[in-house]
Formats: sequence, structure tokens, C-alpha cells
Amino acid sequence: MTTSVSPDARTIWRAARAPVLVGLVVLVGAIVIALVRGGGEDGAVDPESVSPAGSRAVARLLQAQGVTVVRVESWEAVRDNVNSGTTVLITQPSWLTPTQLSTLRDEVPTLVAIGPVGDSVPALAPSTRQQGTVAPQNRQPDCAFDAAGSANIGGVTYDGPTRCYDGTLVRDDHVTLLGDATPLTNEWLDEEGNAALSLRLLGQRPTLVWYLPSLSDAAAGDQDGAERSVYDLIPSAWWFALGQVAVAVLLFMAWRARRLGPIVAEPLPVVVRAAETTEGRARLYRRAKATDHAAEALRRATISTLIPLLGLPSDAPPAAITESVAARTGRPGADVHAVLFGPPPNTEQALVQLADALDALANEVGSH
Amino acid sequence: MAISGRAGLLALAGALVVGLLIPSWSGIFLVTGLILIAMVIDLVLAGAVHRLEFTRGGAQSVRLGEPAAVTLTVRNPGRARVRGMVRDAWPPSAGASDRHRLDIPGGGRQTVTTPLQPTRRGDRMAYRVTVRAFGPLGLAARQGSHTVPWTVRVLPPFTSRKHLPSRLDRLRDLDGRLRTLARGQGTEFDSLRSYVIGDDVRSIDWRATARSSEVMVRTWRPERDRHLMVVLDTGRTSAGRVGDIPRLDASMDAALLLAALASRAGDRVDLIAYDRQVRASVQGTSAAELLPALVNGMATLQPALVESDAPGIVAEVMRRSRRRSLVVLLTGLDPDPLEQGLLPILHTLTSRHLVLLAAVADPRINEMAQARGDAEAVFDAAAAARALQEREHVVGLLRRRGVEVVDATPEDLAPALADAYLALKAAGRL
Repeated sequence: MTTSVSPDARTIWRAARAPVLVGLVVLVGAIVIALVRGGGEDGAVDPESVSPAGSRAVARLLQAQGVTVVRVESWEAVRDNVNSGTTVLITQPSWLTPTQLSTLRDEVPTLVAIGPVGDSVPALAPSTRQQGTVAPQNRQPDCAFDAAGSANIGGVTYDGPTRCYDGTLVRDDHVTLLGDATPLTNEWLDEEGNAALSLRLLGQRPTLVWYLPSLSDAAAGDQDGAERSVYDLIPSAWWFALGQVAVAVLLFMAWRARRLGPIVAEPLPVVVRAAETTEGRARLYRRAKATDHAAEALRRATISTLIPLLGLPSDAPPAAITESVAARTGRPGADVHAVLFGPPPNTEQALVQLADALDALANEVGSH
Repeated sequence: MAISGRAGLLALAGALVVGLLIPSWSGIFLVTGLILIAMVIDLVLAGAVHRLEFTRGGAQSVRLGEPAAVTLTVRNPGRARVRGMVRDAWPPSAGASDRHRLDIPGGGRQTVTTPLQPTRRGDRMAYRVTVRAFGPLGLAARQGSHTVPWTVRVLPPFTSRKHLPSRLDRLRDLDGRLRTLARGQGTEFDSLRSYVIGDDVRSIDWRATARSSEVMVRTWRPERDRHLMVVLDTGRTSAGRVGDIPRLDASMDAALLLAALASRAGDRVDLIAYDRQVRASVQGTSAAELLPALVNGMATLQPALVESDAPGIVAEVMRRSRRRSLVVLLTGLDPDPLEQGLLPILHTLTSRHLVLLAAVADPRINEMAQARGDAEAVFDAAAAARALQEREHVVGLLRRRGVEVVDATPEDLAPALADAYLALKAAGRL
């Protein structure tokens, strides 16, 4: 009785179904999340985006009012563009470190931040506290922004020196915290007093630096801060555990290194391919471009197959062979003579043609 | 000694202990020390391996390509249990699955079977038996090796035996035992019987007819009790690989089919393998023991990378067979060795014996000769054509000296050689 050890389809499925199932769940989950969150996130509060969540409309509006809008994406670019005539709008303050945010606050004459939370709030506005979150809806200003009228705004609420729109807009000295970006978006800009509020917030100075932070900016800011490597974060107790792991590795090495008996050596027979000499001769022909020798060999091979077909004696003279072939095929004698006994070819191309001509001739004689 | 993966796992678990409870150098030393002590205890309690006793059994010979099994019986004379693994090591070409689990109580015995699937012809010798016996904790093991000699002889596969039934049928046709009485010149007189219509009138024995009241004809049967001398050339030309196997193996296959056929036909078969000395010799064996003797003799033959000594071969053949024999030379048809070695002294052989030369042709050469298309292919074709012409030339020379030549590819050689033998027999030329 024999037992097959190669896996069949059932075994493969049994072994693979768990990973496949996990992979499917992850994939479906990812698709569902993407669909649920879909769309709106693309190009949010981007002065060049025309999606509903984008802000190209307000950027155009500001430009029409004579404000220069500069869109920047890196920390260095912000620092380069800041001067006494700039407003800076930060769309994602959470992506910057508190140090970076307070640096900006100190340098920029007018700063607008959208939805800062946690450490970002005191870094931007020391006398402001974060309160909670509300849904965007139509709110009344009830403060210095009265002129703008009601606006659609929501998001994070704050408590600070100047509290407007139910706390979703707070002004602390020259810094304005905005609960969310609803009034700036293409979708909502033409509703209520959103446009007026946006222009008042962003159009105070001749230049607006529209800063869309990226995640690498925090790292850039950290370089001058107190950066700690990953190793500094490991509690010292685990260094000793690592020492014990090293001992384990040594034991594993000792386990794998010890063989169950030595390797068995065996003298193997010499492998010589029988066709090697012939192939060597072919290479020699080629290297020496010995088209004459090659043609001679091919012609002799063809003649030796022709002779029995023609019923000639094996030592028949060339003239007799030519004549006989010409008679059999109806080809002109000179033509046959050129193929079988003509001058040797000089080029490889001519040799290839000669080989084909010889084949054709042998076929013709064979088929007649 | 040897340790197991458990020791490493234990040390890894110890890393948690060190990290959570005793994060210090002394913690590392403590945990490692405990593991080492456990390993030493395990080692002390493990069964002794150097006193184990081994006996072997099972296959001693196997045809190439067929599976074999060798058993190994392990006896544990000590009191401690021997639990672990045993490796019955064989050379790689024996194709052994050599690892087995072992669990023998004190004073007990266990038999493990090592399956072999040899991939080359020849003698395969068992190398060593290595035992690894773990202690009760399975952390550390004692390990030791023993030499337990055993040899499995891997015989030639004789794949051409599938051609034997059809050749035996043709032999019976010759024999007249089953069907018509084959008649030809050179067959032996067998008996007289009365004439029936349809008999060849030339076979009427007039003298017997005169003595009897009816017309008598002679009946004939093919000659029997002839002598065949098969010569395997194991020199360098036999080392060339045609397809997957060396020429020597193809020659052996052909020799085996010929010997099987000839011994059924009532002829005696001897074999020598020769390059510069006699490598194998089978002589004067009875028909029943011939094939086993041949495969045994051939099993260990390997091609030698030396030029064959043609005069030596001829002298050896002449010495061994005084009466007329069919000498079957299984060699190459390479022009140089033949023209310089065999041809000049061939007449001494042909003067007394009938010589049949069988050679393995390479299908690759024919393939190359057909190649066309680019310059490289045509140069290949030219070189192959040249090689074929040289071969043809040598065959012509041999035939002119009265030597029968069989030149066939490895698959066709054995049946072609058998057919050539049957043709000679039918013609009564033996």
C-alpha cells in the first residue's frame, strides 16, 4: 500500500482557509470603511480643490479682494513666507507639535487654526480651553463678528477671551481658533454669512499663507526639539530581558547546529555528454568561420542520401550525379551543379542559404 | 550530547521572568543557571546510547528504480529507557528516508525500517547509525554513532525485458516448435518424417525414401548449443551520457536482453567487461542462473576514464573461447579508437569467430544534423553531418571485414541487437 504525501485540494483548502478568511474580513472591512468615509475627505479645505469639502471658492473670493493666497505644504515653506503682512491658516494643527505651533503664534501677525485639540489649544492660545464638540448648524455670532451675520459652523467648542458662535470660534489676541472648516468649504460658502465670515477671518492682511501640514512636518520640527530615540523609550528592565533572549538564541543555535550524525559523502560518476565533441566541433567551425568545411560536410551528407534514391553507385562522379538529379527534378543542370558542387560559400548567410537549397533539392528528388 | 528546541524556548520564557521580576545581571545568571542544571539532570537520566546493540536485515539487492527496505533492530541492554531519534545514514544515491523515532524500555528492542529508493547502480553501503536519546524533560540528549555494516547491491534495471516476449515468439517461429518448420541453409538436421503435400520437394531424402515404402522428408531445426561471448567495453567511450544514462548502461541493457534470448534459444552465453583489465566476468553458467549472475556481475561496473585496450580485449576473447563463437562487442563507434585500436587486429578475431559490434548512437547528433535556421544551427548541422559520415565510414570498414554492426539509439539498441542475433540464427551463421 502506498500513501501519497503530495497535498490534494481538500488539504490545501483546510490549511489555507483561516488566512484566506482573515484576509477577506480585512478586505471587506477596508472597503466598508472607505465607502462610509468616502468622498468628502478628498482635498478637504484645499484652496485648489473643487470638491464639496474643498475651498477653491473662498480662495478665488480672497484673490478677487486683492489678497495673495499662497498654498504651502511644508514647515520650511511656512517659515519662508511669513512676514508682518501675512495671515496664516493652519488646516490640520494636530499634525504639528505644540512647540511648532507656539513658534508660529509668536512669529505670525494673524493666525487662524481649524479645530485644534489637546496640547495644540494651549500652544496656540494660552488663555483658551477646549470644551466639547457640536454638530455644524446655523449659529449667531453674538460678538465682534456681528457684522458677518449668522454662519454654518460646528466642530470643537472653546472657552476663551472672545467667544463667538456658541464657542465654535474663539479669538485670543491675534490667534483665531475655528471649530471646523464648514464656512470655508465650497459646499457651504454661499449659505448664510459664511462668505462674509471667511473674508473677515482670512482677508485682513495682503497675503494669506494657506498651510496644509503633512505628517513629516512634525518630525522636521522635532529636530531642534528634545528628540528621544526608540531605545531611550525602552524601560531599563527589558534590557536585561534582552540579555536573557540572547542566551535563548545561543541555545537555539546549539540546538540547530548539532547534526544527527555526519553528512555522508559519496563519489559520483563522471558525467560526459556523448555529443560534446560534436558540439565542440560546431563551435570551432563557427569561431573559425569555416563555412567551406561546413558546406563540404553538408553537401556530402546530401549526396550520400541522394545516391541511393537515384540508384547510382556509391562512387559515382559529380557529373553523373548532377545529370541524374537534373533529369529527376527537371531543374537545369547548371543550377543543380551549383548547389551540389559549386564554390564554397564565403559568408554565414550564404551557408544558411546553401543548407536550405540542399534540403529543397533532397526533398524534390525524394518526392519525384 | 545534543540539546532540544525546548531548552531555547525555556530560556525565551525566562526572558519574561527576567524582564518582569528580576531585571538584573543576577536574574540572567539565575534563570540561565536553572536551565543548565535542568539540562544536566536530563543528560544524566537519559538512556545510554553507546551500549545499544544493532542487528540488520532486509533487502540485499534491488533493481534500479524499484524500492527496497532494510530493517534495523535496536536492543537496549541498559535499565534506562532510550527515547529519541535514530538516523540510519546511507549515501545520498541510496535514496533512504533515514530518520526514525525510537522508544525502547530498558532491556527491550525495537525494529525500524529504512525504505530505500536507489538512484544509481552499484553497491550502496550503510554508513552509520546515530542515536539521540533524550532525558525525561526532553531538554538535552545523549548522542552517539555506531557502525552497522550492510550492503545493498543495486542491479541494472533491465528495462528492455519488455521486448523479450516478442523476441521469444520469433525464436519459436524459427524453432518450429509451435508453428511451421522453418527451413533454411545452415540449420541442423533433426529427423525424418513422411512427406505431406506442401512440403518443399527439395527436402525429400531420397536415400531414406528408397529404404522405406513412402516418401520421406528431412526436417530441420535451428542450430543449438552455440557459444556467445558478450564483451562490454567499459573504457572512456562508454562513459558518454546519451540522454540521461551513460552508454555503458544502455549497453548492459542490450547485453541482458541478448543473454536472456540466447539462453532460451539453447546457446551458452559468457560475458566479460574489459577496459584495460577484466572488470567483470561471467563464464560457464547454466541457463537458469545466467541472468542473476549477469546482473550481479554488471551491478558494480563503472565506466573507466581510460582508453580501452583493444589488443587486450581480443587476446582475452581468444583465450576464453577456443571454438567458433559469436563475439558481441558492445563498444563505441568513434573513428579514432576503432581505426587505431581494433581494426588492425580485427582479423585475428574474425578468422575464428563471428563478430557483431553493437554501438549506442546519440539521438542528439541526428537532432543537430536536422537543425536549420541561423548560422549557429547550420554549423551544428555540419558538425553533426561530419560526425555521422565518420561513423558511416567506420561502419563501412567494419562491414567490409565481415563484422556485423548494430548502431542504434539507447532505447532501440536492445531490440535491434536481439533482432540481429535472431537474423544470424535464422541464417545459420552461428
